[in-house]
Amino acid sequence: METLSAFLTVFANPELLLLVGLGTFAGVYIGAIPGLSVTMAVSILISFTFSWDVYPAIALMIGIFMGGVYGGSRTAILLNIPGAPSAIATAMDGYPMAQRGEAGEAIGVSTVMSFLGGFIGIAVLALAAPTVSDFALTFQPRDYMLLAVLGILLVGSLSGESLVKGIFSGAFGIIIGMVGMDPLTFTGRFTYDLPLLQSGISFIAVMIGMFGVSEALAQLHHLDAPAIKQKISRIVPSFGTVKKYLPLSLQTSTIGVVIGALPGTGGDIAALMAYDHAKRVTKNPSRRFGDGAVEGLVAPETANNAAVGGAFIPMMTLGIPGDAVTAIMIGALFIHGLNPGPMLMIDQPDMFWFIVGALVVANFFMLLFGLTGIKLFTKIVEMPRAVLIPLIMLLSIVGAYAVNNSITDVYWMLAFGVLGYFMRAYGYPLGPVILGVILSRLLDDNWRRAIISEREDLGRFFHGIVTSPLSLILFLAVVFIFFSQTPLWRKLKARMMPARKEEAE
Amino acid sequence: MSPTDHDTDAMQDFEADDLHEERRDTRRPGEAVFAFLLLAFSLFLLWSAYDISGFEALSAPGTVPMATTLVMVIAAALIATRTRRLPPISGETFKQQILPPVLIVMALLLLAFGVLLRPLGFLPTAALFLTVAIKMLWRQNWGRTLAVALGSLLLIYVIFRIIFTVLMPSGVFPEAEMLQFFRNLFGGGA
Repeated sequence: METLSAFLTVFANPELLLLVGLGTFAGVYIGAIPGLSVTMAVSILISFTFSWDVYPAIALMIGIFMGGVYGGSRTAILLNIPGAPSAIATAMDGYPMAQRGEAGEAIGVSTVMSFLGGFIGIAVLALAAPTVSDFALTFQPRDYMLLAVLGILLVGSLSGESLVKGIFSGAFGIIIGMVGMDPLTFTGRFTYDLPLLQSGISFIAVMIGMFGVSEALAQLHHLDAPAIKQKISRIVPSFGTVKKYLPLSLQTSTIGVVIGALPGTGGDIAALMAYDHAKRVTKNPSRRFGDGAVEGLVAPETANNAAVGGAFIPMMTLGIPGDAVTAIMIGALFIHGLNPGPMLMIDQPDMFWFIVGALVVANFFMLLFGLTGIKLFTKIVEMPRAVLIPLIMLLSIVGAYAVNNSITDVYWMLAFGVLGYFMRAYGYPLGPVILGVILSRLLDDNWRRAIISEREDLGRFFHGIVTSPLSLILFLAVVFIFFSQTPLWRKLKARMMPARKEEAE
Repeated sequence: MSPTDHDTDAMQDFEADDLHEERRDTRRPGEAVFAFLLLAFSLFLLWSAYDISGFEALSAPGTVPMATTLVMVIAAALIATRTRRLPPISGETFKQQILPPVLIVMALLLLAFGVLLRPLGFLPTAALFLTVAIKMLWRQNWGRTLAVALGSLLLIYVIFRIIFTVLMPSGVFPEAEMLQFFRNLFGGGA
């Protein structure tokens, strides 16, 4: 009964309903504007909702997340410029459809399929998370430590040009998270006797700098990107169209949920994998893939929205973010005094069911805003970047200052913004930095707990790993990520899959 | 330039961004210097991490920092070595592709914003920042620039200061008096 009550909180509370709606509306437009990412929007928003109650804050962020993942498809279809990485695959067939004068139909199909994918993702989250959480209670400290390492490595290996750069970024994030007084011994770490470093570096300042300011600075290279006008025809797809693509959308939603639930992956990888899957399994596509096949639009759109629900599974059950946005949302929960992980599901199941309810509402709002307001959309997307960039910078400053009313945080944000810009320019992924900051505590605390319980004996520690099936699987996964980046693995892979190699050539 | 050309250019820009995510076999301007700076920084952090508690115990506060900074040093050394070996990318210069003047000016404007925020207050500083930045980037006449800058600022102020009640320094601007004036105007002094 309490579960149902928590689930229905958003539906019953007009303020929360309004906030989810507002967040979804904003998310659709933020996601649609190339250069504005959902990660950036949520990271800036955290600081503004800092003083709010946890429910309204989470409601707004969930709306932005859900709307933002969908919003990227709009510009992908209309302008061939994906508003977000998760819409890259959408552009491949969505834009050719728009060129054939079917922009309205493409938007309609992508909206309905995003809704369907989003709903499946949420359903899996609601059904699977409690089980995963129960299982997570059996985890040992060493398992959490290995999970933290695995999460950072996965993000590092999947989001950048090389694993080494990803590892560097993740390790750098861990160090940022460790600046300040050690909570167990009150020893200063990287403080250099400076009072401003003793309380640590504000993770929000790091986040806004890395995602907000660096992105705005990078966008200065694309000031002259044009705005193109489109004619929009009929939008709402027929029941027959939806029914026709339902089997494919169910398959690609499953891909989306699974990929989204893996730490370190997100809607972008899910969408590309679903597109690849659709290409393989569709025998008679409506048109050739790449020329405006509806299947090429259905697959990525269902997958990237299904990945949203999936990304919440590791976040809520293990305290390990599924992607950069959920990493930021973990930060938001921490700020509001909550501790994501298996205990959250036991101590505060209402929070979990509230999030599920908010996701459902956001999904409905996404359908509503997706099928309406196209004219307003085209006007906002046509806003020149020369105006947009200073506004993002202004919001970043306000956001960084607002958390602690501290100018120091603004300077940290600027420093990390400039550093993030250079890291971006030279191919160092930024996601692992944030993940490192978030997971540093989990890594450090659990390493110390694990090694103390093994009486400071490394031999006993490794014996514990090889004798526990779960620890062994996690350890082997870490080893495999390293091994998969070596030339030896590439040679092995090429030998094992000669047919695919020939196909690629 | 036709809309199609514009579109193609924009897409190429986008793809160029994406290509930076692929393994490159060329070096961008300044990349090697950046890699060596990161290596030096990582070595400094390793030394600092050793300084926390040395090799006192495996559960000591400095153990994870030492292990992590060691990973940073090894990764930075590998990156620097590989980057140094790569041939420079043709047609790119540090001044044009990495640090164009507009980027330096914007970074300085942000810094100036931070410095002036407390003494001058949020509203005058933000108005100045937006006007200068939009004028510089948008290259429209003063009337349009001021209308967009001040209109956007008003919108941001209403959303974040009034609706979200985010506190910002008032500085020299009589913000409290202004808000009270509007409260009196709409609420009859309530």
